[in-house]
Amino acid sequence: MIKALNGVLLVISAVGFVGVYALKYQAEKTGAEIVTIEKRLERKTELLSTLEAHWAYLNQPSTIEPIVIRHADALGVAPIKGEQFGSLEAIPMRPPSEPNSAALEALLAALEAGIDPTTVASIGDVAP
Amino acid sequence: MSSIAHAAGPIEIEGARKARRNLTRNRIRLAMILGCFLFLVVAGRLVMLAMAGVDETIPGQVQSALTASRPALLDRNGIEMAMDIQAPSLFAEPRNIVDLDEAVEKLARALPELDPAFIRDRLDGDEGFVWLARELTLAQQDQIFRLGIPGVDFLSETKRYYPGGPVAAHILGAVNIDNVGIAGIERHIDLEEVALLQQLGFARSRTLEPMNLSIDLRVQNAVHRELTDALTRYQAIAAAGVMMDVQTGEIVALVSLPDFDPNNPASALEPLNGDKDARINRITAGTFELGSTFKTITMAAALDSGAVSITDRFDARSAVHFGRFAIDDFHGEHRVLAVPEIYKYSSNIGIIKVMQTLGKDNYRAFLTTIGLDASPIIELPERKAASVPERFSDVGAATAAFGHGLSVTPLQLVTAYAAIINGGTFIPPTLFARTPDEAAVLGRRVISPETSALMRYLMRLNGLEGTGRRTSEIADGFRVGGKTGTAEKVIDGRYSSDVTLAVFASAFPMDAPRYAMVILVDEPDRENPQSGKTAAWNAGDVSGRIIQRVGPMLGVLPDFDPEIDRAIVPEILR
Repeated sequence: MIKALNGVLLVISAVGFVGVYALKYQAEKTGAEIVTIEKRLERKTELLSTLEAHWAYLNQPSTIEPIVIRHADALGVAPIKGEQFGSLEAIPMRPPSEPNSAALEALLAALEAGIDPTTVASIGDVAP
Repeated sequence: MSSIAHAAGPIEIEGARKARRNLTRNRIRLAMILGCFLFLVVAGRLVMLAMAGVDETIPGQVQSALTASRPALLDRNGIEMAMDIQAPSLFAEPRNIVDLDEAVEKLARALPELDPAFIRDRLDGDEGFVWLARELTLAQQDQIFRLGIPGVDFLSETKRYYPGGPVAAHILGAVNIDNVGIAGIERHIDLEEVALLQQLGFARSRTLEPMNLSIDLRVQNAVHRELTDALTRYQAIAAAGVMMDVQTGEIVALVSLPDFDPNNPASALEPLNGDKDARINRITAGTFELGSTFKTITMAAALDSGAVSITDRFDARSAVHFGRFAIDDFHGEHRVLAVPEIYKYSSNIGIIKVMQTLGKDNYRAFLTTIGLDASPIIELPERKAASVPERFSDVGAATAAFGHGLSVTPLQLVTAYAAIINGGTFIPPTLFARTPDEAAVLGRRVISPETSALMRYLMRLNGLEGTGRRTSEIADGFRVGGKTGTAEKVIDGRYSSDVTLAVFASAFPMDAPRYAMVILVDEPDRENPQSGKTAAWNAGDVSGRIIQRVGPMLGVLPDFDPEIDRAIVPEILR
């Protein structure tokens, strides 16, 4: 009995040894991987901050303005003038007008005759 | 003896075996207890290890101290004005360098801006750590990595970057190589933080929350460009401008030219034409005699005291004499002038009479009330106190009435104008975002709302019919009101009529004021032989061009309805 137990314990400790060694090397490898990844992360962070800085630079009004001025002709843009501003209130209401009864008649006649108005290019506007 | 023992019989033998077995059993038990104990120790240690927190710092990495960063600075719309970027810095461990000559040669080739003798001096020796070059580019880092020099490595350092370059130089200030603020808002942040940290007893730790400034970068850029244009257009030695939200006290734009590039802080100290103070912030750290723009202040003081009414008339037919001095008008009307006319024609004689009616001591007291003496209120460390005599003499008060004999910063003037037109509340200016509610708490009444309405009328009148006419025409529809000031500069102890400082203090839209602005053009020349040299032709034109550009950005839409201007006129004058 004691022999069997010894055998089992021996096997267990052998397996344990191998396992612990494997684990140790695994941990070392993972540690190295972590360092590599962290180095890469740091480098990416640096790159990102540089790119962010570049983006901020490109977004500055002081950067955009000369570009716009240089390409004003091609883009067809010019500084806005005071007269170009307006408000909704400034737009006059649409003048009241009679419904176009002749066109309505024509539409009804067409429907009567079995023509689908959606397939026909123009029957005449119903609304004014 | 053994035979005797053998012969002695099995009892003895049995006793001996039994005793041995007992002993063995005891030994086994002891070994098992010991083994169990050892296993318990191991198990206990395992539990301890499992319970212990994991220390995530990797030995050999010393970056945390170097990456001490600063909060990003954003404008009021969230555009970056200052930010941190990570830049690699090169260091060496001289005691680990194998071949000094090779290392020096390779590094000198990779970094041509470094002197080989300097590199040799640095690498030679037995130190554990020396900086070689700080804040390199990523491309340079790659190049040096590929050289594969032992004993040379990089650390990532935080570097402050200002994407706008010089556009907001005087607001932002600069930091030194160790990321410590040395000027402007950057210095202010450090001073505030340090004060706070000392209060709490904490070590270096910073909030990384971005800070919103009150600046509108689009407006800032427009003002910067128009003033840069003014420098060449009028051959001026300097130009400056500041725009303020009259309801909240927020500074929307602040420009002082010539300026510097905050990315290269040393440029702030570069002399220009032999003047080493050429690049100071003229808005907060420069005091000037601001000339006729002070007539607005005098008029507001007189109207608010009740001593002078808007319907009064003053005799401006002849010059005012003080002993051997005589003060006359520049655009001489030489007749009896109504109060609005005094303002419109910028009559020195008229304004002296108005001031005398008010009383010189009352006038002096009003200057203190409206913040025109002492130091300007602003977060920037670059401030210069106004120089205003403690008590006015008769002639001193007379010249002060039209802005001579006392010098204040343009920031103080724009703050005073804002208080005069916004309904009479003095709101301390700020460079950080502020809500109208916060501003209301800080506000202090300096003149009555009625006086404020009268002053809005006078400023708009000057914009329509007086010296502000050119400005109003350029910024048509934005209902600009303002006052010019052409102050003669003191050259060799005498006022010179050739060398002047042109000032235009304005506000828009006058029917419901939102923004006040002061523009300075120092020593302007005529744009062309036909144009004039007074402030209306330079500072006035610049103001008009700025307002025309930034009005729509700030949500002020042009309106050409003449009814608006009629509504500003007080009942009594209609």
